[in-house]
Amino acid sequence: MLAAAGIAASLVALPASAQESGGTLVMVTQPEPPNLAPYISTSGPIGQVASKVYEGLVNIGPDFEILPSLAKSWEISDDGLTYTFSLQEGVTWHDGEPFTSADVQFGIMDVLREVHPRGGSLLQVIESVDTPDDLTAVLNLSEPAPYLLVALNGYESPIVAKHIFDGTDIRGNETANAPIGTGPFKFVEWQKGQYVRMDKNEDYWQDGKPYLDRVVVRFIADAATRTAAMESEEVLLGGFGAIPNIDVPALEELPYLEATTEGYGYFAPMMQLQFNTSKAPYDNEKVRQAIAYAVDRDFVVENIWFGFGKVATGPISSLFEPTGLYTTDGVIDYTVDDRIEKANALLDEAGYPRGDNGIRFSMVHDMTPYGEEWRRFGEYVKQALGEVGIAVDLRYEDVATWLKRVYTDYDYEMSSNWLFGLPDPVIGVHRQFHSDQIRQGTVFVNGMLWSTPEMDALMDKAKTENDPAARAELYKEFQQVVTEAAPVIFMHEMEFVTVYNTKLHDVVTGPLGIYNNFADMWMEQ
Amino acid sequence: MPNARLRYVARRIVQAIPILLAIVVLNFCLLKLAPGDAVDVLAGEAGSATPEYMAELRAKFGLDQPLPVQLVRYVGQIATGDFGYSFRHEMPVWDLIVDRLGPTAILMVTTIVLAVGVGVLLGLLAAVNLNTWKDSVISILALVSYATPLFWVGLMLIVVFSINLGWFPTSGMENVAAFYEGWDRVWDIAHHLVLPAITLSLFYLALYTRLMRASMLEQAGMDYVTTARAKGVKEGRITFKHILRNALLPVLTMAGVQVSAMIGGSVIVETVFGWPGLGQLAFESLFARDLNLLLGIFFLSAVLVLVVNLLVDILYTFLDPRIEL
Repeated sequence: MLAAAGIAASLVALPASAQESGGTLVMVTQPEPPNLAPYISTSGPIGQVASKVYEGLVNIGPDFEILPSLAKSWEISDDGLTYTFSLQEGVTWHDGEPFTSADVQFGIMDVLREVHPRGGSLLQVIESVDTPDDLTAVLNLSEPAPYLLVALNGYESPIVAKHIFDGTDIRGNETANAPIGTGPFKFVEWQKGQYVRMDKNEDYWQDGKPYLDRVVVRFIADAATRTAAMESEEVLLGGFGAIPNIDVPALEELPYLEATTEGYGYFAPMMQLQFNTSKAPYDNEKVRQAIAYAVDRDFVVENIWFGFGKVATGPISSLFEPTGLYTTDGVIDYTVDDRIEKANALLDEAGYPRGDNGIRFSMVHDMTPYGEEWRRFGEYVKQALGEVGIAVDLRYEDVATWLKRVYTDYDYEMSSNWLFGLPDPVIGVHRQFHSDQIRQGTVFVNGMLWSTPEMDALMDKAKTENDPAARAELYKEFQQVVTEAAPVIFMHEMEFVTVYNTKLHDVVTGPLGIYNNFADMWMEQ
Repeated sequence: MPNARLRYVARRIVQAIPILLAIVVLNFCLLKLAPGDAVDVLAGEAGSATPEYMAELRAKFGLDQPLPVQLVRYVGQIATGDFGYSFRHEMPVWDLIVDRLGPTAILMVTTIVLAVGVGVLLGLLAAVNLNTWKDSVISILALVSYATPLFWVGLMLIVVFSINLGWFPTSGMENVAAFYEGWDRVWDIAHHLVLPAITLSLFYLALYTRLMRASMLEQAGMDYVTTARAKGVKEGRITFKHILRNALLPVLTMAGVQVSAMIGGSVIVETVFGWPGLGQLAFESLFARDLNLLLGIFFLSAVLVLVVNLLVDILYTFLDPRIEL
């Protein structure tokens, strides 16, 4: 659907075209971030802006390989319990202070572990950070953590300056709206409601970079206007839904615009239907499987998401194929030809025969309050389940109300939803299926109230298994049992589109996409 | 007379205090009726959060306190002129609002001046040329622009003047690639203002045109006009000295109501043109359950409504000396 050549060109810098310095990149981000404190929120817009200012110890390459960033190199002990990082030399914060291992220690132990929404669970294994000298940081772990290294990237685990945060209320630090980092761009000003301006960091530790003189991130609330601004070349780049999928084909036809679905691998967003498995009849595996058979994933991708998406097979995204964790081996295929017959048979077996009016039972389906596609998807579900004898009523509320309903009150039967898979199942997938993730009032965790000792054991083992082959085996079994139990119906792996002006080069350089630091991006003058 | 006016103003200010208090309490209670809170939304946007993290946030925001305690605290704060803190923005509410006041005022003042000025003129023209082609054209134009949805007008103007002709920028208040200074900046903002101001004016302009026309016609049939004509006063003088002055009263009332609403901005036009006004801020904070910020905006609007109403009442006495305070 999208120009494959464009993707290839953007990923691989062609040797013929040397990078040129200069230029102002104007990008559009939707919605406007509430603040620029990525250490207290993983909210998408914050990440898109703040990732130019803050950096992490590592970066992530196109095939999920771990690349150096603030850490020049690292060694992992054989027992997997000690990570020794050698830091880059000559790195300074934007206020001129030198960056040292003390910042790494403070950033991880006192900031990320304390106030980051995922840090508390993700970095929990880090018991202490030693700083033998200014350029060496040693992380001591309580147990092996195969997911740790990838999580130390600049979006997930931004390192902040000790001299700015030490002794202050970290959450209320004054730099929450005016970040000071080590990244390729320095924060200049934020006109709320309009734009954030960041200028080139002349003292950046990578010589000759960044190429751009300035990055301005604009906020335009109306989708049609964002599209118009791309068209009139006032804005040169927009991703992650900033440009609605429905507008992409028309924009792509313009000679000066290009679109790509690359650069979302880190997030691996998964579209799903989830059940409240504590409520009848959704406590019945057969009913859940029947509904999983009844929905036509291909139809949904093609007609509701305009072809942007890939039919999902299970809890782990196919984007994980290079890591060996993804499999379809022994996993139930809910897209078979006779799926409707299967669904009807399962519902009969489960003890819900059709009544005189052809209806087995009725349900209220909550639609994710994220926009038009979700409404249309709800309407489709109503129709598809109607065919197998389930009468569906639809409910659409605002985000706060819906989150409370699903994750605090558990007052729902079946809801659509979408979650990030994130670069390791421990980070993105376990939170939905482990019984210790049934946490009332916490959003995007186990809202299905799903709990089986078998699945818990699998996840516990995979969490500390450092051997890739053994880990893959554990996740293979996990994918089989989750798909069979079907507390969640995996609909499709969502695809987002980044639209950019062809003046820009090296826009998407890895799975972090526009969450990267843009040090490598350059613009034709 | 000036003394009477001063006494009147003082009385109205005293009366305003219980009204404002009632507004604050009512707003607070209404907003608390909405399910979910700021922490739910923040955590929802973050994609994940631990329960300890959420409990900590609620404690920090004061959301763990019983509602009456929260209300008393808030009223106490407002009474001392403290608008509170927006935890979502990590900024004092007052700073957030002040940032948006300028752009809101630029857009709304331009709009009201355009709408009232042109509207009164067109209404007058239509009334004077009653039942001629001029009247019909003006009436039809007013009807069409009143009936067309604002967002559609905005988008069409963008398509024609920004994309096809390239005369005006699509959105924003300034050219963010250039960052102009001094007079260049003023010119740049004016350039960005054209499309949103026209879009918003079209709607109000229709309103004033129709109001002015009807008001002129009503006054033209009054006895004092017949008297004036019988005395031999010239038609032009009758129209401008007698009818126009009386016909302006309802228009003034209407403009007063609208000026009060101006601090709220226009969510639609601000959204379509990316104009950084208060309307959008209020709209976003509602969905984010950023109650401190929303209550602050509401409070300011309430104050403005009261002040403008008072001003309009005083203005009446100048336009029509028969009206007593």
